[in-house]
This record gives sequence, C-alpha cells and structure tokens, in this order.
Amino acid sequence: MDFMKSLFVAASGLKAQSGRMRVIAENIANADSTGRTPNADPYRRRIPTFESIYDSKMQASKVELGRIETDNSKFKTRFNPSHPAADPEGFVKMPNVDRLVEAVDMREAQRSYEANLNVITSTRTMLARTLDILRA
Amino acid sequence: MTIPTTAATNAYQATAQLAESIANGGNQAGSNSASSIGDSFKDILGQAVSSVTEGGNNVETQTLAAVQGKGDMIDVVTAVAETEVALQSMVSIRDRVISSYEEIMRMPI
Repeated sequence: MDFMKSLFVAASGLKAQSGRMRVIAENIANADSTGRTPNADPYRRRIPTFESIYDSKMQASKVELGRIETDNSKFKTRFNPSHPAADPEGFVKMPNVDRLVEAVDMREAQRSYEANLNVITSTRTMLARTLDILRA
Repeated sequence: MTIPTTAATNAYQATAQLAESIANGGNQAGSNSASSIGDSFKDILGQAVSSVTEGGNNVETQTLAAVQGKGDMIDVVTAVAETEVALQSMVSIRDRVISSYEEIMRMPI
C-alpha cells in the first residue's frame, strides 16, 4: 500500500537525519580535541553524505546515510606555548570545526527531521480519514 | 394475518443468493450460497486478525530491542503505526460487516 510505503520512506529520512545529527554531535564535541604531541594532527571535521537507495522489495526510493567523509580544509592554529601539542613557535593545531557552521547544520538537520515527521503525521491522518468513511 | 415459516426461509435464501450473485459478479446462482459466504467472511476476518497479531509480535520485538538499547526508536514507531493501521482497518471492516448483518436481521418479513 502506498501509504505504508510513504511511512517507511519518511522513516528512512528520520534515520538518515538522526545519523547526520550524530556526526554533528561528534564535530561539536571534538571542537577542542587537539593532538597530544607537537605536530600531531587534531580532530578532523567529518561530513555526512546521503544516498538515494531504491528498495526493490518495497518499490520505493529510500534515503540512507552514505560514507562519512572528512573535511580536508586546513587546521586552525592558536598561540599557546604551554600546550603539550605546541610546535617550536608555540602554535597548536586546532580542529577545523567551526561551531557556527555546525550550529547551522544542526538546525538544517532539525528542520529536515521535522519535515519527515510531518509526512508521517499527514499520511496517518489521510489513512485515518479514509477509514472514517467505513465508520460513518 | 399469519406468515408461513417457509416464506421466511425462502426470503433468506433469496437474499443469500442475491448477495452471492453480487459477490461473484452475477455469474453464478449457486445453491449452497449462504455457507460459502459465511466461510469467506470467517476467512477474511481470520487472515486480518492473524496479520494484526503478526504486526503486534513485531512491535513487541522492536520495543524490547529498543529498551535494551539495541534497536532504533524510529523502527518501533513505524512498526506501531503499521500495526495500528492494520488493527483499525480490521476493526472498521468487522464493524461494518456486522452492522450490515444486523440490518438484514432487522428486516421486516
């Protein structure tokens, strides 16, 4: 039944967005994770990707969290000579995580999750209203 | 005024035959119509109940897995929604069929 399919497709969207939320949480939590020795690389920002997957059993396109790639942009540096990971000039490599970007990504994930929830709510309402015809 | 009992049974039989000819698309006018209709409704109801039970078992496994931290809450919600829809359709169809049956029983003969 198409209504059940849309329920499952929306549920796959919910799962994908929750996976994206996990990656954002990792990025924000590790925004201060530096290396322990001089010139050691700090935490590298990770970027989730989404894939459209055709479910041949259900005959509908679902979405799944694809490979989680790394952000290869340059690390930020901060002057902190007392830090164990500081290089001879006193600079520490900091993760290439921007908290503002992560906050915006998080809001986007939240909105996408809500959109999928709305699809589920509307589908359920349509199903219930159809069944109401039998009860009237 | 007295009504002979055979008139009532004839009327029931005629109704049953009419119902079956409607159900079969007007191809057949079988003699054992009442029993076959009764069986098919029983079968439909049995299938509906067993599918709902199956969905309920699925919900139970998913919920247990989620409570133990192994499963996904989203799977629980979708399984519950699917079973709820199946149960609601089953109950609606059953109520409708039973109300039609009651209406036939109330028919003045």
